[in-house]
Amino acid sequence: MRRIITILIISVCSVICVMANDSIVHTNVLKVKFGTGYQLDTYLSPLAYTGWQVGIGNEWWQPFRQDTRLGRTGRLADWAHVGKLDVSGSRNINSAHSNLAYAIECVGGWGAFYNWRWLDNRLKVFLGPYMEAGFTVRYISVNVNKPLSLDIGTEVMAMSGISWSFYGKNTSYRLNYQIRTNLIGMDYIPDYWQSYYEMSEGVLGKFRCSGHWNHHTVKHELTLDMQFPHSTWRVGAEHQYVNYGNAYTRFVRHQMNIVIGCIWNYHIKANKKL
Amino acid sequence: MKTTQHIIWVLACLCLLTACHEKEEVAYSMDPVENIEALWQIIDTRYCYVESKGVDWNSIHDVYIAKASKLPKNDPIALFDLCAQMLDTLKDGHVNLYTPFDRSRCSSWYDKYPANYDAQLQQLYLRDHRIAGSLYYCTLAHDSIGYIYYSSFSNAFSAANLYWIFKAFAGCRGLIIDVRNNGGGDLTNAYQLASPFFSENRIVGYWQHKTGTGHNDFSSLEALYADTSLVKIRWKRPVVVLCNRHSYSATNSFVSMMRYADNAVIVGGVSGGGGGMPMSYEMPCGWTVRFSSVRMYDRDKKDIEQGITPHVLVDMVSTDKDDIIEKAIQLIKN
Repeated sequence: MRRIITILIISVCSVICVMANDSIVHTNVLKVKFGTGYQLDTYLSPLAYTGWQVGIGNEWWQPFRQDTRLGRTGRLADWAHVGKLDVSGSRNINSAHSNLAYAIECVGGWGAFYNWRWLDNRLKVFLGPYMEAGFTVRYISVNVNKPLSLDIGTEVMAMSGISWSFYGKNTSYRLNYQIRTNLIGMDYIPDYWQSYYEMSEGVLGKFRCSGHWNHHTVKHELTLDMQFPHSTWRVGAEHQYVNYGNAYTRFVRHQMNIVIGCIWNYHIKANKKL
Repeated sequence: MKTTQHIIWVLACLCLLTACHEKEEVAYSMDPVENIEALWQIIDTRYCYVESKGVDWNSIHDVYIAKASKLPKNDPIALFDLCAQMLDTLKDGHVNLYTPFDRSRCSSWYDKYPANYDAQLQQLYLRDHRIAGSLYYCTLAHDSIGYIYYSSFSNAFSAANLYWIFKAFAGCRGLIIDVRNNGGGDLTNAYQLASPFFSENRIVGYWQHKTGTGHNDFSSLEALYADTSLVKIRWKRPVVVLCNRHSYSATNSFVSMMRYADNAVIVGGVSGGGGGMPMSYEMPCGWTVRFSSVRMYDRDKKDIEQGITPHVLVDMVSTDKDDIIEKAIQLIKN
C-alpha cells in the first residue's frame, strides 16, 4: 500500500513539475457558495417558495493552445475557453409557511470567448458562446402523487464580461463581471396534470425547443480576485434568474449567492497532453 | 472605438433582461373569497370527474362565493368549514382538504353500505398468523387454504415476502386475499400483489389524465398491464379476493385487476371505488387540497370510480363467524 501511495505521489509531483515549466496558463477556481433563493414551480404549487441554498463549484479557464493547426495561423491568439461545474442544494418554504420544498441542482457548461484588451492587458472585455446543460430535482414535502418536479435542459448562451486588474500595496486585484443569457436550447416541461407515475413515461416527448421567446435565463457574477503573496482568493456574488413555462405551467428561479473561492494557476506545456 | 461601443451595447442589453421578471405566483392570502375562488378553480380545471359526478359546478361557484363574502377575514376554522362543505358536494372520498388543524373528509360514498367487516371476528381466523412485510397470513380449514390479510396498500411488502408466504401455502388448495377495510395507498403495491396471479402480461385496465382546463380535456386511454416479468413465484391455484365498501382507491384498482387474473373470484360487498388517482395542490392560504385527477378504467373501458361489484355478493349477518371468509372457504373447497 505504501509503495502505491509513494508511486502516486511521485507521479503527481512529476506532472506538476512538468506543468510548472510549461507555457499556457490554466486557471482554476474551486468555490463554495451560499445564499438565498426564490422558486416558483406551478406544477407543484401556485405558491412561491423561498429559502436558503449552499453549493460548491469548479471553474477553469485558459487560452486556446497555439500548437494546433488552427492555433498556428494566429487566429486563436485572443481566444480562451472556460468550463464550469456547479452542484447546489436548497431548502425552501412556501409563503404560507405550510410546506417545504427541497432541490438539488447540477449545472455544467463550456464556452469560448474572444478577448479585447486595453491598458496593457489590465482591462479586458470578452464575448463568446457558452453551452450549458443541467438538471434540478425539486421535492415538495406535502403532496399526493406529485412529489417531484424536474428541470432538465440544455442551452446555447451568449456570454460576456469585463475584467479590470489593479494593484494594491502588497496585493494585486482583479475585478470581474460576467453575464450569460440563453439564446437557444431545449427544456423539459411536464404536463400540468401528470402524476409522477406518468412522468416516468414519455419523458422525451415533453422536451421542446427553447429560446428567448419562451425561456429566459440570465446569470451574473461580480467577483473580486485577490492575489496575496502565497495564495489567490475570490470573493463575490452571483445572481441567477430563470423563467420559463407554457400556458399552464411556470418555472421561475431567482438565486442570489455569496461566493468564496480559491484560485490557482498551473502551466501547460505545448504538445503535452493532460 | 466602434467595437467598444458595440460591446457596451451588448452588455447593456443583457443587463436589461434581468428586469423581465413578472410576478406569476399566487400570493399568500387568508381572504375567504380569494381562497374559495382558488379552490373552485383548482377543482374546475384539474378534477377529473366534474362532468360525470353530475354536479353543477358553476352554480356551486356563485353559492359559495356569496357565502365566503360574508365570512370574517381572519377565521380559518370558518373558512375551512366552508371549503369542506363545497368539496363535499362532489361526494368523493379522494377529495380532502388538509390544514394544520383538521382534514375534511366525505363519508357519503360508504354511509349507506353494510360494513361487511368485523375486526374481532377476523381475529378468530388470524389466531396463528405470521407477518411478512405488511401482509398477515395463516392457513385456514385444517391447513387446506391460505389466508392473507392486507390492511393498507400504503404499507410495502417485498417479492421475498410473497415468496415465503406462497412457500408456506405450498400444500393449500387455494388462497384468500382479504383487502376489506383497506383504504388504498400506493398503486405500485397493488400491481405487485396482483402480478403473481397472472400467467402472462395482460391488460388489466386503462387510465387517462387531463390535458387541458376543460372538463372533458383528456388524453387518450393508456393501457395498464399486470407485469409478470419481475414475478419470482406464481400462484396457479384458485384465489378468492374479499372486498367491502371500504376497499377504496388502490384497493379498488387491485380488485378490478384481479377480476382478470387466472382462477380468481371476487367475493364480498361492492368495493368503495375511488378510481380516480388523486393529486394535490395548494391554496393561497397554504392548505393542501387533494382531488381525483387521473381517471381509471377496467379492461372493458368502464370507469371504476363507483366501485366494483364482486362475482359473489355476500353480506355479513352472523355474529359468531365471518360470513365472507366462510363463503370464500366454501368456494375454494368446491
